Amino acid sequence: MSNWALACTLVFVVVTILLSVQRKLGLEKEIAIGTVRAAVQLLLIGYVLHYVFDTRKPALIVLIVLLMITVASFNAGKRADRIPGIRLRIGLTLLVTESITMGLLLLLHIIEATPQYIIPVSGIIVGSSMIVSGLFLSQMNRELEAARGEIETLLTLGATPRQAIGHSVKRAIRSSMIPTFDGMKTVGLVQLPGMMTGMIVAGAEPIEAVRYQILIMFVLSSSAAVTAIMLGGISAKLWFTKEGLLRKG
Amino acid sequence: MTALFTLERLTKYLPEQPEQPLFSGITAQITAGERITLLGASGQGKSTLMRIMSLLETSDSGSIALDGKPSSAWQAKDWRKQVCYVAQQAVMLPGSVEANLRTVSNLHSIPFEKELAAQLMEAVGLSRIDWTRPAGDLSGGEKQRVALVRALLLHPRLLLLDEVTASLDPGSKQEVERLLLSWSEREHTAYLWVTHDLAQAAEVSDTVWFMAEGRLLETSGTADFFSEPSTDQARSFIHRESAQGGVADE
Ligand SMILES: Nc1ncnc2c1ncn2[C@@H]1O[C@H](COP(=O)(O)OP(=O)(O)O)[C@@H](O)[C@H]1O
Ligand SMILES: [Mg+2]
Repeated sequence: MSNWALACTLVFVVVTILLSVQRKLGLEKEIAIGTVRAAVQLLLIGYVLHYVFDTRKPALIVLIVLLMITVASFNAGKRADRIPGIRLRIGLTLLVTESITMGLLLLLHIIEATPQYIIPVSGIIVGSSMIVSGLFLSQMNRELEAARGEIETLLTLGATPRQAIGHSVKRAIRSSMIPTFDGMKTVGLVQLPGMMTGMIVAGAEPIEAVRYQILIMFVLSSSAAVTAIMLGGISAKLWFTKEGLLRKG
Repeated sequence: MTALFTLERLTKYLPEQPEQPLFSGITAQITAGERITLLGASGQGKSTLMRIMSLLETSDSGSIALDGKPSSAWQAKDWRKQVCYVAQQAVMLPGSVEANLRTVSNLHSIPFEKELAAQLMEAVGLSRIDWTRPAGDLSGGEKQRVALVRALLLHPRLLLLDEVTASLDPGSKQEVERLLLSWSEREHTAYLWVTHDLAQAAEVSDTVWFMAEGRLLETSGTADFFSEPSTDQARSFIHRESAQGGVADE
């Protein structure tokens, strides 16, 4: 894509701003900030990737993946930032999910061990695990409200925190995984995934693009499962204070 | 003789009302096997006090101790196995009536006392309930009694009973009273029972605790409390409640 063509894409931003002004939506500032941030962040990552692909230093790849995990943990942790230690648990979960998934992909020679493959696929894994973590946490917040009576009843009968919250955690795990499987059922019919579209636009054979998309979908389902189950397990006690009280939803 | 349970200058503030405590300076003791009713108008904080005593809430100052050991030195679950709170609004756990009765056995990996469970269900007038029914479908009064049986199967040393007969008809109410009296006799279980039914209080307790104006105003023998209450507040409370014939919270 030429620089001229890229510059012309600003037309879409202008359209958005004009609509906002005309309809008095008051979103001009949001749109401007969003536009600048998206452009700067993407250009920056483009240069970083360009550099990384050239140098092929493994340490650099690891650093980038760790950075992704850190940002993702902070972002997902927003849903439950009153719970001390939640971000650390999310970070650990994302690290394990990424290690297992990427480890299998490389071990089975499904993808090549080059930054061109590792970094984008890691981005997809960490990004979707972040969303699963966020869903899990907001579902747990709802559980603390809706299932409070049930959890407290178990506590009065001498249950440990883990026993008392077990049902809620299980329900939250399930509901945080469902969107991933719903996505698998409709993919290709309702939406064409971004990665596949990107590959086709960039000139890949549709069949080749689809093969990679299938890989990604399967990878996402297992990483959703690993993320939800692990986060459910290691966060179970965090929903209680050190005195053993159930926290507020 | 050391007390089973002690409350030492307990004070609780509500988050919405930081200038005046809900209650303060509550100091009292419960000995093993003691039968107490806790009386007081609605909103005095009786349920809150019991929730604090079962570690479902914290107090703002003061302390509670079981067997002379302060709550902070206990694992909450070990404490709650001995001090069991039976809530006013009975909550059935998902699953059948039997699953609910088996809760204690499942939680603590101990054998299910099926025989005892059946006896207790009969004693509270639920012998005809089908144990395979979903517990959520029971009526309010049935849930309340299942919750009570579920708690008794834990064999706690202190029961905190929060208006557990509030939604029962007079007949079932009497069955529950008789059961709890004989249970406390047999198992040497102490209880602290919140009720608005003065006749019930006279029937089931040796001691009355009376809460008013944010304090525990009286802890006296039941007979003394009713014949010569030592405070004006208690006198007018007894007068008012007996005039109304006892009205439950909510
Ligand atoms: N978690 C809570 N947050 C705010 N207020 C509460 C809470 N629990 C109870 N209260 C208030 O505390 C007061 C005492 O409630 P409660 O302990 O249920 O009294 P009682 O059982 O004597 O009727 C009531 O005014 C009630 O609205
Ligand atoms: Mg109450």
